[in-house]
Amino acid sequence: MSLLAGLPLATATPGGGDLIGLLPEVIAAGGFLLLMLADLVVPPERRTWLAAFSALVLLGALGVSLWGWFDAGAAGRTVYFGAYAYDRLSAFTNCVILVTSLLSVTISPGYLNRRGLHFGEYYALLMAATVGMMLLAGAASLMVIFLAIELLSISLYILSGFSRNEERSQEAAVKYLLLGSFASAFLLFGMALVYGETGHTQLVQIASALNRSGPLDPLLVGGVILVFVGFAFKVSAAPFHFWTPDVYQGAPTSVTAFMSVATKVAAFAVLIRVFDYAFAADYSRWSPVVIAVAIISMVVGNLAALTQTSVKRMLAYSGIAQAGYILIGVAVGVGNPLGVQGALYYLAAYALTNLGAFAVVTVMTRRGEDMDSYDHLRGLWFRRPYVAVAMGFFLLSLGGFPLTAGFFGKFLVFAAAIEGHNVALAMWGIATSAVSIFYYLRVAILMFQRPAEEERAYQWPRTGLAGGSVLLATAAGTLILGTAVPLVFTVAQLAQAGTIPGAT
Amino acid sequence: MSGFPWLTVVLVLPVGGAILLQMLPRRASAAIKGWTVLIATAEAVLVAMVVYQVATGPAQGACPGGPASRCAAISLMPLPMHLQEQANWITSIGASYHLGVDGVSAWILALNAGVFLLGALVISRQTTERLKLFCGLLLITETATTGVLLSLDLLLFYLFWEGMLVPLYFLLAFYGNENRVRATLKFVIYTAAGSLLMLLAIIYLHFATPGTGPSGSFDLETLLQHPIGAQTGVPLPFTSIPTLTPMMWAFLAFAVAFAIKLPIVPFHTWLPDLYESAPTPALVFFAGVVSKMGAYGLIRFAITLFSGPVHQLQPLLVALAVLSIIYGALMALSERDIKRIVAYASISHLGFIALGIFSLDQNGINGAIIQIVNHGIIIAGLFLVAGMIEARTGTRDIREMAGLEKRMPWLYALFLVITLGSLGLPGTNSFVGEVTIMLGAFQYFWLLAVLAGGGVVLAAWYMLRLHQGLMHDPETPRVSAVRDIRLREGLVLAPLAALVIFLGVYPHPIGAVSSQAVPAYVTVADVSQAQASVSFVPVGSDR
Repeated sequence: MSLLAGLPLATATPGGGDLIGLLPEVIAAGGFLLLMLADLVVPPERRTWLAAFSALVLLGALGVSLWGWFDAGAAGRTVYFGAYAYDRLSAFTNCVILVTSLLSVTISPGYLNRRGLHFGEYYALLMAATVGMMLLAGAASLMVIFLAIELLSISLYILSGFSRNEERSQEAAVKYLLLGSFASAFLLFGMALVYGETGHTQLVQIASALNRSGPLDPLLVGGVILVFVGFAFKVSAAPFHFWTPDVYQGAPTSVTAFMSVATKVAAFAVLIRVFDYAFAADYSRWSPVVIAVAIISMVVGNLAALTQTSVKRMLAYSGIAQAGYILIGVAVGVGNPLGVQGALYYLAAYALTNLGAFAVVTVMTRRGEDMDSYDHLRGLWFRRPYVAVAMGFFLLSLGGFPLTAGFFGKFLVFAAAIEGHNVALAMWGIATSAVSIFYYLRVAILMFQRPAEEERAYQWPRTGLAGGSVLLATAAGTLILGTAVPLVFTVAQLAQAGTIPGAT
Repeated sequence: MSGFPWLTVVLVLPVGGAILLQMLPRRASAAIKGWTVLIATAEAVLVAMVVYQVATGPAQGACPGGPASRCAAISLMPLPMHLQEQANWITSIGASYHLGVDGVSAWILALNAGVFLLGALVISRQTTERLKLFCGLLLITETATTGVLLSLDLLLFYLFWEGMLVPLYFLLAFYGNENRVRATLKFVIYTAAGSLLMLLAIIYLHFATPGTGPSGSFDLETLLQHPIGAQTGVPLPFTSIPTLTPMMWAFLAFAVAFAIKLPIVPFHTWLPDLYESAPTPALVFFAGVVSKMGAYGLIRFAITLFSGPVHQLQPLLVALAVLSIIYGALMALSERDIKRIVAYASISHLGFIALGIFSLDQNGINGAIIQIVNHGIIIAGLFLVAGMIEARTGTRDIREMAGLEKRMPWLYALFLVITLGSLGLPGTNSFVGEVTIMLGAFQYFWLLAVLAGGGVVLAAWYMLRLHQGLMHDPETPRVSAVRDIRLREGLVLAPLAALVIFLGVYPHPIGAVSSQAVPAYVTVADVSQAQASVSFVPVGSDR
């Protein structure tokens, strides 16, 4: 404290109450440091202990985040001089991120052992990425947003190149790094422009400055659009998606499972906070861009997914399309609570479903190589009937069939679009959904067809307790979100209502 | 019978049976089939009790568990429902778990249960691969179709409507001939696209309906009590010609979704391919029930919620129905494959049902409901016969078969009754339905009844051509070694043939139940007709 006292920015000393707002992140960051140290002493054959320790830390952070939901209250507040929002939106997304992180850690030891990639740094990096994502979801200042994005990105760059002997993994890491740095530059430049126009880095003050500002300023619009481009890269929306298929395919599947969902949840949380709340006054200028990106994502993602022959690539393109659907909620979310609620519901649904689908790919992995081609999936029903049923369920959910989480996600964002008098946007969503049914069901049908001769001889790996429990948890979550809708929808409503900065 | 949630039991019994089915060992094929038949029989008995209740009991809301104010609202409803059940579901957007049955759905529900029982009976234990999966999917489909018939909440209805596709997709894609995957994908994408459009229209209704509270409502009865007022279309650029109103677009979305399922020409192209490739047990309930869901949806939702647009677009709708009758009949005449002939005949007959509905006349709708039940019985019988013949001769090409009469006298007799029913001979059940429909059509426009009558003549032509070609004429080599149907098969077909005749001479049970409900539907459909016709005035004309 004495060090900070002389600096001009420390105009007030943060009280003990501020630390509570960051407690989940602090716990996870502490876990990250301990994991780094523990890796030095834990013998290589006992690395599963690291996974168990990670899970413990994540559970602790999850507990604190749940408590924070109630502690933050309906209104929420900012901590550390308006740098971080301690509100229900951040509590909600923290919980989703921590659950996905926990499930990813659970499937990791079995998968990494089979791939021969079981190193201690993996868990430390995963924890660091989780910290970055949680910070991003709660960030209430442009600087924190940038730092959080860099923290999560750098961790993920390393993780996607984690398979050091495999060219595809190396290529994925380099591609992700180069394009990611490019996107960060866009983001930073956009932030600079916004700062230059408003004179603030804190979202609350930016929101009120925008409310006051009069005529249209091209620099501000440019800044807002550049910030959006930076986020759109992180959520892998088209046309900023070119890294997605290669990185998703090249990275180890447990990493892909984690980053395909958790990154999206965090980046969408900040997208909602910045655009639907802080930049709400500028709505009429940025919404055409968001709508256009949403439509392009839905069209490009769904059409490109049609021709894939690898499950990981198909899920990558499907993820691009799903980003488009969630963007519908963001695009119509100003002055229309259903938009943000729908987007949040969709995020929770997508997180569980997509993680489950990738978990299926991890439990199918043989020694040393991923088994993600459609041919490998053929006949899964005959070898692992429960895994096949779970995968079928996830695919139906991604396709938006009723009684699954995906249906209500789509239903809510389409409803939000119609409520926002943008029927055309909903029509685009409907048309592309109809296309998507084709490729999801094509994979579903493959699993129930007779396997090829050479595949029959192979002894498939056991699903294992960890893999089985993850599949069970994600499938159960998908079913619950598809039937007992009020359970999570009420939470999404409360999160939407208590977001900082409040709707203007 | 009130108080106890009978409809919920009817709804969950098949799916519960499907879950318990998974406990049985895979090899115990007799137990698997026996259990499936048992569940389907129990369901049929329960449904019979429900139909009896509808036929005799007073219409009222039971609403166990619902707040008293909801009960009061239910008694005001325009459609007389029986055995209602209501429970909270997604309160914040006004969706509830609301079930009910009335004279329109009662007999379709009975048809549903009966046809599924039939489908369960004709599963072949010997030749069906993965019998447990097949039986499970069959029972799950039954729950979905039952849910479609019972739901009084649009969102709940949509869940079952779209959910029905999932078990059907697996059933049709796993079983059947080599073209099945392609045909099934065509069917699923076709219907899913239509359904998604309907979802948009449902959401639109939810937001556009005034006075349903802060959260809006998906409840059919609430929506009917708060009709959307007159709307005007936006004038097209540079003209004073108005475009369709939003309500008309919403109606078209519903109509297309139902027309694809029914199907009405030109939305029928999935049907012949699918019927040709599907296995017989699946086909029996698919053709018998699933396609009727479209007709049911038109009566229950399209003409009540969209009374204005229905009247405005009536000429178009009726014309498409007549086109279906004629086109289906002509295509049936040109086909050589038994299953494809029956498929096109089915399109023609379903055109009659659509004609009855769109005549918006009491007789027409009454006849449509009677004909839904009749056609379900006849089409199930025809596909069973086609399946039996195909299994024995190994072909479906009618040019390769002749003279089956001598080889299969029992099949000949039963097939004859069903054929005569199909072509609408007086004294069979179709005659009753078609005449009632034509009464309604005549009220609307006499020429329609004449054209539809032409369809009946064509029906006589193609059905007799099929029957004679297969049964009479000198024997071909294909049929020389054919054996007659076994007793078990005869016992499946005989009740259908008996029903064809029984309902032909005594149609009262069906007609009495449906006609107690139909006037309410016609009234609802007429209420805003005058109001809606105002809205069709060109926008520019008031200047």
